[in-house]
Amino acid sequence: MWRFLAEAAAVFVKDLRSEFRTKVALNALGLFAVTTLAAVSYTIGPYRIAEADRPFLLSALLWIVIFFAAMAGLDRSFVKEEDTHTAPLLRLSADPLVVWAGKLVFNLVLLAVLMAILVPLYIVLMGFHVSSPLALFAVLMAGGYTLGVTTTMVAAIIARAMTRGALFSVLSLPLLLPLMIFLIQGTRAAAEGSPDGVTQTLRAVISLGGVMTVVSVILFPVVWHE
Amino acid sequence: MSSRGGVHRVLPWVLFVWMAVVIWAAFLWAPAASGFVGQSSRIVFFHVPTAWVATLAFLGSCIASIRYLKTRQPIDDIRAQAASALGLTFAILATITGSIFARIMWGSYWNWDPRETSITFLLLIYAAYFALRGAIADPERRAAMAAVYAILAFVTVPFLVFIVPRIYWSLHPDTIINVQGKMKMSSRMLQVLFASLAGFTGLASWLYCIEVRLERLRRARQHEELI
Repeated sequence: MWRFLAEAAAVFVKDLRSEFRTKVALNALGLFAVTTLAAVSYTIGPYRIAEADRPFLLSALLWIVIFFAAMAGLDRSFVKEEDTHTAPLLRLSADPLVVWAGKLVFNLVLLAVLMAILVPLYIVLMGFHVSSPLALFAVLMAGGYTLGVTTTMVAAIIARAMTRGALFSVLSLPLLLPLMIFLIQGTRAAAEGSPDGVTQTLRAVISLGGVMTVVSVILFPVVWHE
Repeated sequence: MSSRGGVHRVLPWVLFVWMAVVIWAAFLWAPAASGFVGQSSRIVFFHVPTAWVATLAFLGSCIASIRYLKTRQPIDDIRAQAASALGLTFAILATITGSIFARIMWGSYWNWDPRETSITFLLLIYAAYFALRGAIADPERRAAMAAVYAILAFVTVPFLVFIVPRIYWSLHPDTIINVQGKMKMSSRMLQVLFASLAGFTGLASWLYCIEVRLERLRRARQHEELI
């Protein structure tokens, strides 16, 4: 177990070092998120939505920005290995599940950084009043994990295909749409201070994340060695 | 002519007669349900079976994909591809019939009701499956990646078909098997519905067999051209 964790940490640190050299994924995610937020804030702003519609519409816009920003950079960890021809060496030197865990943690860290910058900015710029910040934090954590685990698997698939960039969004977004619906409702419930709504969302999101984790653990070795 | 060949020739005709009787019974024998505009409730005899067949086909695609990953036999990839195509076709039919019902009952073809949303997502997921198949040139890699995606796609089906419509308020009429576990239909309506379910399942199985045979021929021809 400790060996598995140490090897996964080594893959994660390798990806992190490599990312800090080029900052491709960080720049793509961050700039996409900030640009989209600026566009949304400029066109809609904090006062153009009726008070009654604010919790739902602002929750929907927040998750649309997060999901589309995620599409801009979460495929990098696997695509980069194929582009730089380092994937065969990684296949020889590490167990598939170690690679999956390392890449998953890397994507989760990217998402955490994205959310840490984007969500406070969004709340300030859009005047989004959240009655229960702790509930919002729980929804963001659960949503971020499920988003990360699903996109990590899809990134591994598209790394072996042609036209990777477009394909990542085409394959990921339909799989993520049910998650987006759950998260929008959960964020709305957190904004309105409705614990029942948040609990219902967390149950659905965590079960989807759990199922995706189990399926990924079973199927990743197939994708990786294909 | 072998007895098996004879059965294969007779079965499509049995299916033809069965479906003709189902269509006649759906419009003329079963009563229209109360609480619905005009005769609109009769669409249940076509809408529910198409949705049932689509779900069944997606399950078939998932099973064939799992089999492919275990056996690596091209026939299992062909089966998964044929089942996904069939599921996509019947999901489109379920969307169209549901949309016609929505226009009559709620005054609009599309309302983004949770069930309409779910079926749209399912259509997008399986359309993406075919986009993935088109993006990988190597046949073995294509089959393996498509199999993995089909399994991932099927994981979302219970969330789309069962959880999303039940968590969020929906205009959609109560499902046939509801939370009380009771069937709220008259005896004649139930008979026609079950006959239609059997008929559509038979029709889908027949189309599936044809598609599998056609795809095998297509691949054999491609293989010959390469040689």
